[in-house]
Amino acid sequence: MKTNILFRRISINIIWLWIGLFSLLPLLLVFVTSFLSQGTNQFISYHFSLHSYAQLFSPLFLEVFARSLCFAIVTTLCCLVIAYPFAFILARLKTNLKPLLLLLVIIPFWTSSLLRSYAVVILLEANGPLNSLLIHWHIIDKPLQLLYTNFAVVIGLVYSLLPFMIMPLYANIEKLDQRLIDAARDLGANQSTVFAKVVLPLTMPGILSGILLVLLPAMTMFYIPDLLGGAKSLLLGNLIKMQYLAARNWPMGSAVSIGLTVLMGGILLIYWRFTSRRDRQALV
Amino acid sequence: MRNRHLKSLLNVLIVSLLFLSNISFADNSKVLNVYNWTGYMPEKVIQLFEKKTGITIHYSTFTSNEILYAKLKTSPNSGYDLIVPSADFVDKMRRQGMLLRIDHKKIPNLKYLNPDLLNKPFDPHNHYSIPYLWGTTGIIVNTRYYSKNSITSWKQLWQHRFRNKLLLLNSAQPVFGMALHALGYSINTRNPKQIKEAYEKLLKLIPNIKLYDSAATQTFFMDGDAVIGMSFNGDAFLAHQGNPKIVYIYPKDRALGWIDNLAIPKNAPHLKNVYTFINFLLQPKIAKMISMAAGYSSPNLAAIKLMPKNYRDSNILNPSAKILRNIEFEADVGKANILYQKYFEMLKLQG
Amino acid sequence: MSRLFKSSYILLIYCFFYLPIAILMIYSFNNSTYSSLWHGFTWHWYVALFHDPSLLTILGHSLLLAFVAASCAALLGSLCAVILNYYKFKSKTTLYTSIFILIILPDLVMGISLLMLFYILHIALGFWTLLIAHITLCLPFVIVTVLGRLSDFDRNIFEAAKDLGASDMIIFLRILLPMLLPAIIAGWLLSFTLSLDDVIISFFVSGPSYQILPLYIYSMVRLGVNPEINALCSLMFIATLFIVAGSQLLLTKRR
Repeated sequence: MKTNILFRRISINIIWLWIGLFSLLPLLLVFVTSFLSQGTNQFISYHFSLHSYAQLFSPLFLEVFARSLCFAIVTTLCCLVIAYPFAFILARLKTNLKPLLLLLVIIPFWTSSLLRSYAVVILLEANGPLNSLLIHWHIIDKPLQLLYTNFAVVIGLVYSLLPFMIMPLYANIEKLDQRLIDAARDLGANQSTVFAKVVLPLTMPGILSGILLVLLPAMTMFYIPDLLGGAKSLLLGNLIKMQYLAARNWPMGSAVSIGLTVLMGGILLIYWRFTSRRDRQALV
Repeated sequence: MRNRHLKSLLNVLIVSLLFLSNISFADNSKVLNVYNWTGYMPEKVIQLFEKKTGITIHYSTFTSNEILYAKLKTSPNSGYDLIVPSADFVDKMRRQGMLLRIDHKKIPNLKYLNPDLLNKPFDPHNHYSIPYLWGTTGIIVNTRYYSKNSITSWKQLWQHRFRNKLLLLNSAQPVFGMALHALGYSINTRNPKQIKEAYEKLLKLIPNIKLYDSAATQTFFMDGDAVIGMSFNGDAFLAHQGNPKIVYIYPKDRALGWIDNLAIPKNAPHLKNVYTFINFLLQPKIAKMISMAAGYSSPNLAAIKLMPKNYRDSNILNPSAKILRNIEFEADVGKANILYQKYFEMLKLQG
Repeated sequence: MSRLFKSSYILLIYCFFYLPIAILMIYSFNNSTYSSLWHGFTWHWYVALFHDPSLLTILGHSLLLAFVAASCAALLGSLCAVILNYYKFKSKTTLYTSIFILIILPDLVMGISLLMLFYILHIALGFWTLLIAHITLCLPFVIVTVLGRLSDFDRNIFEAAKDLGASDMIIFLRILLPMLLPAIIAGWLLSFTLSLDDVIISFFVSGPSYQILPLYIYSMVRLGVNPEINALCSLMFIATLFIVAGSQLLLTKRR
């Protein structure tokens, strides 16, 4: 019995030690820093100040927030529209190759995400393969300017985040009971009614977890907008990076980080409200 | 069965951990930690030095002065022996006591350096820094699209014909430097009024900006993704080698100049090895290899003499004394940096 | 939906996934250092790769780091998941909340906050700081994966084991770990992938003596991607394909 108590105590303490020391304490440091002011010779000077938070609500920063959110939402919607049919077809295939097919979705992501983004750059270049092909087929006669546009940024984000949408959707759709669909059909519902009234509500948890998994990272990836968008539009990830490095304004960077974390927490809270306990477990 | 698997996994873990701790407590006297810009030192140079002296070099790289500065500031005992900050950061770091004073007597090869690049205001007697590579920032243009003679100054980049064409460097300093020179001010100004004026000038440039370079400038020009913009002379030189139609122009309203310098951070653990290494780097033969591999100009006059003709006589890499005089070198702007960064962020938001 | 439409849609998405990889591999044979247009075929970059000790060292660093980080995260994470699932203790809700904060915390913030911690504790940046950061990065993913599996378990097994006199540690090592193995392996793989690909956090917590691959690639991109990197990644991709194919074969045989 004694060893049980010991085991329990030790394991709980190890976990708390790790999480406390390496995630909560650092986060607390960021939180404290956001209330300090910028130093001249050091990164931080220990004077309490709400200056950073006041700046957070300046039009400049609000616009960055809004713009990043906009990019993230467009990316998420694109992912959803592309991934839903894909996951649906894949989940309802009658073959034992399904695990392999699913694995094939993940394998590309074992290659450096940076290099894959760079490959997308090559693909979209003015004289790159895509434009050459379109010209060759006489679809266009002048290279399209695809790169360094918002369009390219969204393509890059969708490409990187699509699997995060496919996975939860797949897990959810696979559990879908065919008998429910058959029953609805027997009762005279047409295809679109079945989809809207039966399939969609039942797969809602999967959709929600997919949205969550795509929306959050889409806000902060800093190298994809840089590489594909020509670094023209300032997004949150770049802003935080710039505050910490180029501007050497750690309190401001911390305030933006805290703001971002709170925003994400807010999104998670909304998700929480709309899902039941069981569905939340489906996320994990 | 499974239990045994787990045990062997644990064993592997423990062994690898032990192995690692061994590495970090290894004999330290034959080691040198070098922190340099990416692409600034060919592998061959490191191998030559290691073979010659038996000193192992831990070589790691950074991509911006800010990262170098942040790393050194946050962990002063990080163990770097030799760093390569740009002029403005040498200025800032020496004022903040982050650099060690260099004993010139221990570096006989200093004699090879170009006196025109020494004793600049950022480090008046070169007590803290030794030029390693240097360069200029000017206008790069593909003459297939625009005639070379029609572009002579920064000011002209505001012309309507360059709508959605310009490539700008992705950092506040050169972008504002260009605007300040176009307005006739110093690139190192701390005067808020002038900085604001430059910002307003840049706002008018927005319709012309196609992209900020996020990768290598030469690639954009060689592949035709950009046809005009600002560039470091080294990148322009590489692009010119690949496509002679791409030329580099020293703007009349003054090009920007920069020097990247060898410096020793305070608390450098392997001082003796550092001096051996710096002296080695200043050997004409080695300096030539470095400059040619990096594609940037060498401050080492003896090294330039050893280079093949197309490097030695290149106006892009080794500008004449007359042009050199018309270059303004970057220096620290102190607190005004905050202002520059803020305006740069605002500029990007408008774009 | 017709069968044809379905299969062509699936195929199209797979093309979308694999096209950039294909481009990456094709360009590893490109006879040009800086240009990303096609300049003819060459083996040069593969030859250069095998004569580039520093790149191979960096790869070794990355693999070792990913291996150790994934293993530690897998062990720690499964322990944490088990505790959360089986014990009742005061700080349980707080622990849950902390883990969720860890999940939503942007990578960028995590990297910076850890840098600040190491700054305050005067820990020199290097292998150990990278390891700590990567374990922390991977931890929530392992916890979440293992928790998912745990919720399907039959608790009676453990009651039976307890009745037969097994201690908690024995139950954890002998029963839980083996039963959870698939989930732990999944978590391990996920962690390994995350660690091998992480740019953002490593960017802040890496030091002079320990250069790793993702950061090397990050700096390469700014300098013009050297096709040598493409060659390296192509080889790594093919290696993973072989490993996956091999494990699939093994699995089907066992069945």
